[in-house]
Amino acid sequence: MPQLTIAFTILLTVGAYLLAKTLYLRYRHPLLNIVLLGAALIIATLLALRIPYQAYLPGRQLMTFLLGPATVGLAVPLYRHQGLLRRHASTIVAGVVLGSLMSMLVAGLIALAGGLPREVILSLLPKSVTIPFAVEIARIQGGSPGLASAFVVATGTLGSVFGGTLLTWAGIKDPLARGLAMGTGAHGQGTAMAFLEGEQQGSMAGLAMTLAGITTATLAPLLVRLLLRP
Amino acid sequence: MKRYLRFLGQLGLLTAIYLAGNRLVLWAGLPIPGNVVGIILLYALLNLGLVRLDQVQEAADFLLRHLVFFFIPVAVDLMNWGGVFYRYGLVLALAIILSTILTFLGTGFIAQWLQKDKPPCPS
Repeated sequence: MPQLTIAFTILLTVGAYLLAKTLYLRYRHPLLNIVLLGAALIIATLLALRIPYQAYLPGRQLMTFLLGPATVGLAVPLYRHQGLLRRHASTIVAGVVLGSLMSMLVAGLIALAGGLPREVILSLLPKSVTIPFAVEIARIQGGSPGLASAFVVATGTLGSVFGGTLLTWAGIKDPLARGLAMGTGAHGQGTAMAFLEGEQQGSMAGLAMTLAGITTATLAPLLVRLLLRP
Repeated sequence: MKRYLRFLGQLGLLTAIYLAGNRLVLWAGLPIPGNVVGIILLYALLNLGLVRLDQVQEAADFLLRHLVFFFIPVAVDLMNWGGVFYRYGLVLALAIILSTILTFLGTGFIAQWLQKDKPPCPS
């Protein structure tokens, strides 16, 4: 009964999402990440019921169908904050491009030096951008979407727990610069933290998150050719 | 009922733009994701006035509010990758930590430096 399995996996995923979200909203701790917590609940259930990963795939395909249109929706906040974007265009472009390059280059070089397999390195490169971009960038380059999403969450958790302190320690006080760094370095999770600091930081981080995704997607093919000649 | 149909229409428009982005990438043979092209397309359409904000914003805001939900099924793929973290955990941690620190500092410093000679913005 494949329909029954699909219905079960979708219900399971919705349930895991709601539970993880409720826990996060109650404690608001960055380590209670909704993505990892939700996925862990699902994996544990599948393992306990001896349901193989392959049985989860049809439901996964149905559920992730809307991820594409949802990502296109990111153009809406970009358009709403157009004034901010125009007013600080040079700062935003310089910060986002430098950060995106830095992220891929440093992660890629360390991974190469550490002898990681090619597929893992290709999944690691887009670690600083939000999941829908990272997953697609990894897939196009020959990495694994699942691994890429885990690296993205690890980066976002790190950035949202320590990012603010790091910036303060380094003497970066300008609210625009802080928002830009949080969005470029730690995507949506950094953006959530930036909104806790203030409206200006948050809006800037949201812009940076989307722009870093576009920049990383554009630069990744060049970097892959540079670092990992086939 | 009318609101429901309106929402579905907006969802249809976002989906059409997403599919157009995918088509464009395929047609041009570009190594970049279709959703990235979709964002640029929608941004251009909004700026050209061909699509109005009220023709997409309800569906876009709803989907973005629940964006995290769609990430969960993708992360379930990790079921197949436990060994990687076990074998390469140290290098992975080092790569992620160092590159995240340097990204925060790089972006933060250059942005603060470029903002210095500008008056503080009022917004």
